[in-house]
Formats: sequence, C-alpha cells, structure tokens
Amino acid sequence: MPIAPMQKINICAKKKDRKKLLEFLQIMGVVEITDIAENDDHFKKIDTSRSMEIFAENAKIAADASRILSKYIHDKTKVTSLTGRKAISTQDYYAFVDGAEEIMRIGYAIIKAEEDTLKYKNKIVNLKVEKQALKPWENLDISMRLTGTKCTRAFIGTLAGDYEQDKVIGRIKELSPEVENFAVSVISKSMDTTYIFAICKIEDAETLENAIKKLGFAYPAKSTKKLPIEKMNQIDEKIKSLEAKIAELEKQIKSYVGANNALKFLCDYYSIRSEKYNMISKLLHTKHTFILTGFIPENNAENLKILLEEEFDLAVEVSSAENEVSPIFLKNTAFASPVEPVLESYSLPGKGEVDPTPVMAVFYYILFGLMLSDAAYGLIMTFGCSVLLMKFKNMESGIKKFLRMFLYCGISTTFWGVMFGSYFGDAVEVISEVFLKYKITIPAVWFVPLREPIRMLTYSFGLGVVHLFSGLFLKLVQLFKAKKYKDILYDVISWYLLVGGGIVYLLTVPMMTNLLALNFILPSIVAHIALLAISLGIILIILTAGRDSKNAFKRLLKGFYGLYGVTGYISDIFSYSRLLALGLATGVIAQVFNKMGAMAGSGPVGIMVFIFVFAVGHTMNIGINLLGAYVHTNRLQFVEFFSKFYEGGGKKFSPFSIKTKYYKIKEELGNE
Amino acid sequence: MNSYGIFLALLGAVISVLLSGIGSAIGVGMGGEAAAGVVTEDPEKFGKVLLLQLLPGTQGIYGLLVAVFTFMQTGILGAPADVSFIQGLLYFAACLPMGIVGLWSALRQARAAVAGIAIVAKRPDQMGKAMIFPAMVETYALLALLTSVLAILNIPSINL
Repeated sequence: MPIAPMQKINICAKKKDRKKLLEFLQIMGVVEITDIAENDDHFKKIDTSRSMEIFAENAKIAADASRILSKYIHDKTKVTSLTGRKAISTQDYYAFVDGAEEIMRIGYAIIKAEEDTLKYKNKIVNLKVEKQALKPWENLDISMRLTGTKCTRAFIGTLAGDYEQDKVIGRIKELSPEVENFAVSVISKSMDTTYIFAICKIEDAETLENAIKKLGFAYPAKSTKKLPIEKMNQIDEKIKSLEAKIAELEKQIKSYVGANNALKFLCDYYSIRSEKYNMISKLLHTKHTFILTGFIPENNAENLKILLEEEFDLAVEVSSAENEVSPIFLKNTAFASPVEPVLESYSLPGKGEVDPTPVMAVFYYILFGLMLSDAAYGLIMTFGCSVLLMKFKNMESGIKKFLRMFLYCGISTTFWGVMFGSYFGDAVEVISEVFLKYKITIPAVWFVPLREPIRMLTYSFGLGVVHLFSGLFLKLVQLFKAKKYKDILYDVISWYLLVGGGIVYLLTVPMMTNLLALNFILPSIVAHIALLAISLGIILIILTAGRDSKNAFKRLLKGFYGLYGVTGYISDIFSYSRLLALGLATGVIAQVFNKMGAMAGSGPVGIMVFIFVFAVGHTMNIGINLLGAYVHTNRLQFVEFFSKFYEGGGKKFSPFSIKTKYYKIKEELGNE
Repeated sequence: MNSYGIFLALLGAVISVLLSGIGSAIGVGMGGEAAAGVVTEDPEKFGKVLLLQLLPGTQGIYGLLVAVFTFMQTGILGAPADVSFIQGLLYFAACLPMGIVGLWSALRQARAAVAGIAIVAKRPDQMGKAMIFPAMVETYALLALLTSVLAILNIPSINL
C-alpha cells in the first residue's frame, strides 16, 4: 500500500509527566501533533514562543561558535548530506546535556573573541591609512601644525602639480613680486602633488598666501602636533600591539578546539528543545493534566500505545481517521521510492487519490532512458551513482533517493543505448576508422533512430498513448475506490473508446501507416469496430460530460465542450515527439564532437587532440542532456500524465521528531 | 546554377545557428544576471540557479544540430553530394523553423527562467516547479527542431 493508512491518536496524561512524555514521543518520531484550536474555561493553551526564541537563539550561538572554530582549525569533517550525520547514543546525549552550560560559556567566549579580532583588524586598517597619509611628510623635522613664530608666518601643505623647488620659488616670485624675503622647501613629491614648507615675514603673509593659493595650496587633511616621523613610529607600535592582541585571541579561540563537537551537539540540542516547546504550545492543559492529539501511521499505533501505557499513567485512544484529512506518508518499494521527491515537488496525493508513484516510477525510468539513450553515458551514470551510494553508506535519505533515481535512470539509459547502438554517439566507428584504419560498428540491437527517425517518432507516440492510458487507468482505480461506478463509464471508458478507437481507425488507413512507417495492414472489419467505438465514445461524452448542470440545453452544450477535450489528447500524444528530438540531440552532438576530435588525423598529435576534444565534449554533452532529460521527463509526468487523473493537494506527514544538523540521536527503542 | 544550391543550403544552416545562438546567448545571459543576484545573497543556491540559467541554452545547440544535419546531407561534411538549386532552396526553407523559433523561444524561455530564479531565491524547496515553467517554452523549440531535422533528412528523397 503506497500511502500508509493513518489513525488518529488522543493522549491524556499528567502534567508532571509532560517533559518525559514529549521527549519519548520525539525520540519515537511517529506522531504528528495537531494544533488544537479550542480554548475554553477548562482547557488552556500555553504560550511558549518566548522559550522557543531563547532556544533558537542559543542554537544559533552554538552554531556560530562552531563555525568560527572550524575556520581556525581547518575542520575538514564537514557534515554534508552525502557524508550524513554521526550517530550518538542516548546515553552520550544525556552526558552532553549535563555539560551544556559550560559549553555555552565557551561559545559566548569564542564569539566575543572573534568580534574583538574583527574590531582590532579594522583598527589596524585605519591606522595604516593614517600612516600612509603621513608618509610624504616623513622628512619634515618640525611639527606639522606650526603656523609661524613671532615675526614669521609658516605654511605647511600641498600644491597641486609636480614642482621642483626652483620652479616653485620662480612661480611665487612671478605671482607676488612685492614679497621680498621668503623661503620654500619641497619636502617630497608624488605624481600630481608637491608637499611644501614655506615661510615669510609676518607682514607678507597675506600676499604669499594668495600666491601659493593660486598654485593650488591646501592644508593637509590630517596633521599631527608631533613630528611626522615620531607619529609614524607611534602608529607602528600601536599596530604591533594590536597584532599581538589578535594573535592572543586566536590562541584563545584555538584553545577551545576540544569543545567543537560539544558545540555542534549543543546546536542540535537547542533545536530539539525549541521543537519540543513548539509542540507544547499545541497542547491543551488543565491544572494537572494535558491533552495531545495527532496522527500516527496505523502500523505504529498499537505498538506505541503499549509502550506508552507501560511507561506512564495515561489514557491513550486510537481511532480511525477516515473522516479526517490526514497527512500523507508515502511508503513505496525500493524501486519506486526514488521518484517520491519528484511527486512531492508537484504535490502529494489529495484526499481519495491513489499514490501514482509505482506507475510513475516505471515510466520515469523508461522515458528518461529514451531521452538520453546512450549506453556509455548510461554506464557512467550507473557507475557514478553506485560508487557514491556504496562509498557514503551514512548519507541522508533525500540525497540517497536522488542518487538511486539516477542509478535506475542510468540503467535504463544503458539499455536504450544498446537497443539503438549508441556508445558515446558513434565513437567506436570513428576511433576504429581513424586510428585502426578498420571500421568497426557495433550494430543496434533494435534500430538506429538517426537513420529511421519516423519509426522512432511512431514508437514515441505509441509509448505516449500507453503512458496516457495508464494515467486514465489510475483514474479508473480512483473512481472505483470511491465507488463512483457510473463515473468510470462516463469519464474513463468513454475516452478509452474515443481515443483508442480513433488510433486504431487511423491505423487502418493506408496513408497513415505509410506516413508512420508501419508495415502492417489491418483488416477492414477492424475499421468498422473502431468506428463503432469512436461513435460510442462520442455519444457517451456528449451525453455525460455536462451531467452536473440541471438545464438540459446547458448540459448538451457542456457535452460538446467536453468532446473538445479530444484536442488535448492529440496535443498530449504529439508532445511525446520530444523523445525523438532529445534522443537525436544527444546522439548528434556526440557525433559532432567525435568528428571534431578526429579532424587532427591519426598521428600522436591527433590522438592527443582526440582525447582532449572527446573528454571535454562528452562531459558537456552528458551534462546538458542529463538536464534536458530530467526536465522533460518531469514535464511529461506533470503535464501529460497527471492531467489525466491527478490533482494532488495532500499535506506531508511530518511527525514530531528529532530534527538535527550535526548528530543523529540513536533511538534505543529501535524505530526507524 | 548548381553552386547556388549549396550556397543556399549553407545560408540556411548558418541562419539556424545564428538566430538560435543569438537567442540562447541573450537568454543564458539574462539568466546569469538574475542568478548572480541570488548568489550575492545566498552563495549556497549556486547549483540550483545555475541549472535554471542553463535552460534557455539548448536552442543554440538545436541550431547547431540542424546545421550539422544540413552539412552532412549536402556534403559540406562527409561524402560529397550534388545539391541542385531547388534542393538548396528546400534546405534553406527547412532550416528556418529552428532559427526563428529558436531565437524567439530562447528569449521567452529566458524570461520564464528568470522568474524561476526568483522562485528559488524565495522558496528553494520549490525548485522542481521553477524548472517546469521554462521547460514548457522549450517544447516549441523541440517541435521546430523536429520539423527542421525531419525535413532536412528527407529532402534527398524528394524527386524534383
């Protein structure tokens, strides 16, 4: 049974057992707790949002601290969905929990140290900028803030432009000939700035200032009372002391290395608690008791009931969930379950719908294989996925399903590749002809679509019809389960008659069989039967498609509109022509790369060029066509197949359980 | 006159590559701009948005396919073949669906892909649906490819 049947569970227990009971349920992970809306005089809800916030905050701090630590110690044990989480026993779990406070303190210390490090690093950057600004004044041996003495006036600043000392003096003399006594010395120069010190008698100050302003004089943006060189040395010292502090902090952070695992655990621990408090807010409380309601898969129900009654003083009631909209828990065979995520990405089965996964899986693998249809590519996929699956035994279930799906798709691709005689396109032919001077061809087991495209097109349509009719059949199953026997006749049989009869009739027309490259002739009696089936189908649809309307005229109009749905079937069937198109795309691009590679001839250089073009070209081809096959297989399922019977709208079963990032808590109670 | 035949066939092949290539280049470029925006906010979505960016890239490849088929049939690649003037015109016509539909569908598919990238930015779990919308547009590029390829493959067997 692909959809696990659900039961409703009600638990009434003592409030003092609440913590233990919830932890027990969380570890079991089989009950989805529903939010009870009522809130009357006896039963109250508790607002736990504050505690949840605190726990979430703590989890974040622990995760941040661990991330900082990993940065310093080059932690290579990254947890990815491929490597999976490490399992720890419940015993270790409680041992860790006891040390939580101490570890939290370390977490705070790490974060503080990291913050300080950043602060100091910023300061160093600022100091370096300041030093850079002072650099041109390095040789000035008086204070930069000097404005003059009792009888003199001094100007320290920059001129716009690159001047020699003589030239500055010459220009000033030109601009203000009346100033007699002044001295200018150029401290340093850069590309378009000249750093000068000028001095004159106090009575000439104004004239000189006007003159140098015309040369673009400006006071320095940053000045210092001390001698520039002294100030620079001071900055250097400051930087040194900051760097020492940073090194100190780094050492401090590194000293916490041992706490890294504990921090990761703590992050998980607080996530678990936050989740638990989220559940508490869904319960109803009286002064001494509380009530919990939820859904549980039928096969877990009895077992859980027994365990709960052994452990606690409580009342458990398990009842049928038939009249409720229960969450969906898919349970498929190892062959079908890999495509569950594909179904999920569309929508889970709604109420009364069957789980299409088993049927979908078969077509999914076949269609995917037909689109990629190259034995070598298929083997690469099969091999790659098997290696990953075997190497990472502990991987998360999501990625496992994903890899398994591509494993089966790879096997199917290999199969169709052999059927159509495609191994890296025509690589075998090209290599043998160019390098061995003797053409070897691996013949196709069935036929080569590239040479007989129309034949392939016909089979594509044929497979399309089978796919669509399977969809229609699933609708039949659904209606049968809902005991709507009349609807089976109106909505399923009628279409089987019309579309099936139509196809059979077309096959009796010689022009059509020629067009489709089919070499059989059906006897004319078949044509009569087919026409009869079509007529029956048309009549059924016209009479029943509008059966919801009370008005007879409207009913008839709706009937005709229903008949218009036949165009949908035509376009759906034509849509399977993409099987041919994508198959051709893979094969021909592969051939192009083989041809390109062989262009450099059969010498040593030719071999090198061939290997290079071959490797790059086929990698690209496999990538782009894998994407194409994946997307278009999904489309054929979602649009053509699902439109015949499937609406979806189900909610996923998400039991109250331990959801962690770093560690798996091993349940002693043995429930997976 | 015979040399015009091969010229027309080549012209058709070139137009098919040009138009669909331009379409895909613009399309993948649009996707890249949108994807880069998402990656600045969340670098971990790189793989997902990259797939969406690539979707409008297939038209360029289909254009190349049509060109290769034309080359093989007309002897530009492989065994030399005689191409009459009228056959050249036929090849030219056969290449047009891929070029024109390839250009237009790549541009429209790119817009759907950009919208899909916006979905992934906000709801990464809806990746499957985000990929389906651009794939709907691709159907028409595939139909054009089929039309062009089937025509090109059967032109030599037409008696003129």
